[in-house]
Formats: sequence, C-alpha cells, structure tokens
Amino acid sequence: MRQMTKLALAAVVAGVTAGAAIAQELYAPNLAYRTGPFAATGIPLMNGQADYLSMLNARDGGVGGIPVNAEECETGYSTEKGVECYEKTKGKAIVTQPWSTGITLQVLPKTNVDEIPILAPGYGFSPMMDGKTFQWAFNAPSGYWDAADMIVQYLEGKDGDLSGKKIVHLHLDHPYGKEPLPVLEALAAAKGFELLPIPVGLKEMQNQSAQWLQIRRERPDYVIMWGWGAMNAGAITEAVKTKFNMENFIGVWWAGHDADLKLVGAEGKGYKSISWSFPNPDAPVMADIKKHVVDMGKSQSNPEEMSGVFYSRGIVISAILAEGITAAQDHFGTAEINASQLRWGLENINMTEERISELGLDGMVPPFSTSCANHTGNSGGWMLEWDGDKFVKVSDLLTPNTDGYADLVADKAAEYATSNAPWPMNEECSAES
Amino acid sequence: MLADIFINPFVDMFAAPDFLMQVLWEGLVSGILYALIALGFVLIFRSSRIFNFAQGIMVVFAALTLVGLHAYGVPAWISVALTLGVMFVLALTIERVVLRPLVGQPDIILFMATIGITLFLIGFGETIFGGENKVMISSELGIPTGDTVMEPFGGLLILQHLDITVVIVATLLVLALLAFLNYTQMGRAIRALGDDHQAALSVGISLQTIWVLVWFIAGIIALVTGIAWGARAGVSFALEVIAYKALPVLMLGGLESITGAIVGGLMIGMLEKLFEIYWGQPLLGGNTETWFAFVLALIVLLFRPQGLFGEKIIERV
Repeated sequence: MRQMTKLALAAVVAGVTAGAAIAQELYAPNLAYRTGPFAATGIPLMNGQADYLSMLNARDGGVGGIPVNAEECETGYSTEKGVECYEKTKGKAIVTQPWSTGITLQVLPKTNVDEIPILAPGYGFSPMMDGKTFQWAFNAPSGYWDAADMIVQYLEGKDGDLSGKKIVHLHLDHPYGKEPLPVLEALAAAKGFELLPIPVGLKEMQNQSAQWLQIRRERPDYVIMWGWGAMNAGAITEAVKTKFNMENFIGVWWAGHDADLKLVGAEGKGYKSISWSFPNPDAPVMADIKKHVVDMGKSQSNPEEMSGVFYSRGIVISAILAEGITAAQDHFGTAEINASQLRWGLENINMTEERISELGLDGMVPPFSTSCANHTGNSGGWMLEWDGDKFVKVSDLLTPNTDGYADLVADKAAEYATSNAPWPMNEECSAES
Repeated sequence: MLADIFINPFVDMFAAPDFLMQVLWEGLVSGILYALIALGFVLIFRSSRIFNFAQGIMVVFAALTLVGLHAYGVPAWISVALTLGVMFVLALTIERVVLRPLVGQPDIILFMATIGITLFLIGFGETIFGGENKVMISSELGIPTGDTVMEPFGGLLILQHLDITVVIVATLLVLALLAFLNYTQMGRAIRALGDDHQAALSVGISLQTIWVLVWFIAGIIALVTGIAWGARAGVSFALEVIAYKALPVLMLGGLESITGAIVGGLMIGMLEKLFEIYWGQPLLGGNTETWFAFVLALIVLLFRPQGLFGEKIIERV
C-alpha cells in the first residue's frame, strides 16, 4: 500500500512537472535540412532562424516572456521525411515550418484537420495567399508569383518592352521549380515574350551542361532561375563557363546565396536575385545576436555566413514567426497561446517601417501586413546583384502587381478546394478583410 | 512527327557542326567521369562480389577531406597525400571492421553492409566537415582555369581547360589501372579473385590484402572524381548523386568488366547528351538525362542480360 502511495505521488509530481514544462514554452518545430544535397543552402537559413530565437529567449525570456522552442526535425529536403517529421512534432506544435514546397503541399490538407498553422515564408503553394481557402497556411512576406511578376517588371524596366524577347525559365524539376509557371505563362501571353521552361533533374544539378547547351542554342535574352541547393552552384558555374552574360541572369530569392556565387567570384559579376530580405550588419538585431548568442557560444554560424543573404533571411523568418506570436498574445491576452490563436496572429501581422525599426531589423525586410483574406502580404523585394564579392541592392523596392494574377489565385485556390473536397473554408473571411 | 525524330535532328547536326562538336565534347567529359566511377564499382565487385553502394559517398568524403585539410592550412599537395592516407585507413578499417566478419555471408548481407558504410560516412562527414558548399582548391592544385575558344566551321567551340585536364587525368588513371591489373602481381591477383575465388585462395592469394587494395583504389578513384566534379560546381554532399549515374553504366557494360565500365561510361556520357539535345529537348521537354541511360541499359539487357562486356554465367544443375 505504501508503495502504491509512493507511485501515485510520483505520478502526480511527474505530471505536474511535465505540465509545467509544457506550459513554459511555445513549441514551434522546424522541419529543417542540414544534411543531404540541399544542406549547403539550408544550413545558413536554419542558423539565422535559430540564432534569432535564441537571442529572443536570452534577451527577453522568449516572446511575451515565454521561451520559443524551435526544435529541428531533420528532413534532408525529402518530402517523405518531412511528412514523418510533421507527424512526429504536431502533437504540441503551435506552428509547423515545412521548409520545402513539396513538404508544404503534402502537409497542407493535414493542417486543416490538425488545425496547425503552416508558416512557409517565401515558399510553398502560391495560392496560399487566399486566406479564405487556405486558412491555416501562410507564405508571407512574398510568394513565388510575386517573385515572377517582380522579375518580369524589372526586365521590362530595363528593356522597355519584352515583346518578341525570349526568356528561359531554368528550374529544378520539382514542385518548387514549377510553381511560378502559371504566372510566367500568363505574363508571356500578356507581354508577348516567348517563355521557354528548361527543367533540371535532381541528379543533374551539378552537371547542367545539357541545359546550358540548350540555352546556348536558343540564345535567350534572359534566363530566370528557380534553383535550390546544388542546382544554383551548378547553373552559375555553367553560365560562366558558357560565357552567358551574367547581367541577364536572374534568380528567385532562393537562388541568391553568397556561397554559390563565391565559387565563381568576380566572374559572376552582374548575376541578380530578387529578394525580400537583405543583410544589414549594422542593424541593432545583429548586435543583439552577437551579444546574446554568438558571444555566449550558442551559435552554429560563423562571421562569413552571418554576413550573407541567407543567414539574414533566417533571422527575418523567425522575426515573422515572433510577430505572429506577439499579435496573438496581445489579442488574446495570454502569453501561452495555442495553434489556433497563433493562426489569428499570423493573419494580423503588421510590419510597418516603425515596427521593423523597433525590432532592430532596419533595412532587412520590406514592410508588409497580412490579413484574413491575404496570407502572403506581398511585401515586394529588392533586386540584388553580385558585385564579385557580395550581393548589393540595385533597385528600389519592387512591388508585385497582384491585381494581374488575383483571378489566377482565386481560380487555383478554388480548383484546389474542389479537388480536395470537402475542403473547409473560412467563411468569416471576406475578400476585403 | 516522324521528321522530328528521323530527319530534323540530323539536319540540325549538319547545320551546326560546331555545336555538335561541343555536345560531343561535353558528353566525352561526362562519360569519362562516369567510366571512372564505374571502375570503382567494378574493381570491388570483381574481387569480392560486393556491390559497393558507398562509392558515391566516398567521392564526397575524399573531396571534403582534401578541402578540409587545406582549410586547416595544410599545403595543397600535402593535403592530397594526406587524403590518400585517409582513404587507405578507411579501406583498412572497412576490411577489418565490416567485411572480414562477414566473409562467407550471402552477397546481399555484404551489400547491406555497404549501405551501412554509406550512412556512417554521411553522418561522420557532416559532423567533421559540415554540410556547407565548399570551394575546391583547384588553383592551389595547379588545375588550369580559363578556356580555349576555337571556331571550327566558322562556329564556336569552347574547351574549358579544367575539362581538358579532367579528360587527360582520367584517361591516365584508367590506363594506369589497366596496366596495374594486367602487368603487376597484385593486379593479376585481383583478376584471379574475380575469376575464381576458391582457386585464387588455394594458390595463396590473401583475400584481406586484396580487399584493402581494391577499396583503396576505389578511394583513389573517389578522390580524382571528387576533385573533377568539385572543381566544376563546388564540394557538397550533392556530389553523392553523381555516383548513381554510374549504375546504368554498370548495367550496360557489365558489372565485372573493366572494358565494359570504360566503354559503357563513354557511350552513356555521349549518347545521353546527344539524345537530350537533339531529341529530348525539342520533343520531350528536356531532362531526359535522368532516365535515358537506364532505358538504354535496359534495351541492351534485353539482348545481352550480362551487359555488353559481362561474362555469361552458365550454371549447370
């Protein structure tokens, strides 16, 4: 009997302790990839994300005084492993960060059932912009269709008229690479340029001689690239090798990694990448990260990586998450928010210039806001250019012409909902809200 | 449609012979590297009947070791020597720890063991070197950069000095391997083991020594391949997938044939490039290189199940 009493007491103590432990953190798992063929681009992003949250935990005790636990689950960028990671972490998660368009597409229907918001900043399925249909998915601050539109806008600004021009869309043969095609096709039809999609298989990422021979044969005016991981380095080195004019080579934001360009150095001068983030070593947040994380030996990064575009983007991504949490905490009057409350927070982010400055992120992200109807925010971005040593801004803030593809967003969202019926819609959400 | 398949590609070839030469050159460069990787597989298979799944990760591991050592301030060529030393220790360890205890086990067990080696090397490599993309120390090794531009038939042919170096070095390595296998005692011992295990053992050939030797040779091949590919697009774990391009080479040339690996590699390198440029891209939207080599190998297997140069196995009941 005495033993039974002891056991019962132990169980109660354990339960209370565990309960307290769970209550004292905001669990925001990150389906990261620090291994495999895409690790080279994944690592600086994950380091930036982790360091920002570690800084908040150390400096402010987390967000609203509750530490954020962004535990990583390694996917190796494999969709199957990503789904496993989602299933493994969803139990107490207030958000899931899938980190691949393929994984995002797989977990998208599941999050509706599990009621966990997906945070996919700058990636994923572009119609996720439609918050009424995709109430649990967020790809703020900008989506792939925004990127395609801004790149074409930039080229138009440079050339005046794209009619009769030929533009190659060099892309990873993966859902991510194909994502901008609907908007690019629509823009090609509207503006009269010829669009030539050239896919790169996963096994061909480092040997793109065939793709670049085709580019040589086709003599396009421009090449735009939706590349990732080793594909970017492969494409950039082949472009240099085949003497393609780097001024006419533009990548999406995931194809603007300093380390890929360092492989070719000065020969890569002129290469461009549209980006909704930019490194600012003088931003107050960098000093805080140095003080609370790097100097404490808690960072996995290094000075070279920290000065790059991808590390700073990781910081911005975690800042977006923290802003969503803050908005939810303020609205619901509790620091210990749940997944459903965070969903509200993520669709009520208001990153004004003042707020960006308050967060110490000056110059690192354009202002944007999300709403119930718009889960992307469409912040726009800057055109960055490789100067032989680093990326520099070569444009003012470009903003996407979302009206141009608003119908496409609505159509594709409706198509998705129909093909996945019964699909729950957020009926409280009007187009204007 | 028929014209697109049977006439237009050849018209294109004749219309732009300089471009055809460029396609063939790129195919040759890829092909010789495929052949080199396939040789690593063949040597190990011939001597031990093990299909070495770890060949790909050995390429990554060797290249990362070289770049990593240099990053610690070791001069380039000393880094090469030390990397060879590391690959030798790796061969020795694999033989002692993994293969020796599994002697006499079914082939599939040994194959599974090489998958284990792969997973270990991935984890170990990432722990030691990290997963970031690294720049190959090409200039430190004296690998020429730049290119030679020619104008055959009034067109344009660009030959990268790196590619020329790769072709020369890979050819020399293949010739050296052939000479080693044909004219040295150890080389003959490897071939003898491939021909008949029992007979080779009965005349005193040491299985352990030969296994260490072939895994070390596979390590040398991995280093050369890693330098060649790493110089083109950086050193990262993505290099591992390059090795899988050698699988159709083995199917085509035969798993046991050194000649098959060389001829198969060159054939696949050049044919997949020709098919992609003249048929795949215009008719199928491109990216045919991911499957063309496998289809070609399967067609060959329909007629020659042992591959082009493989030995026909006759088992009497």
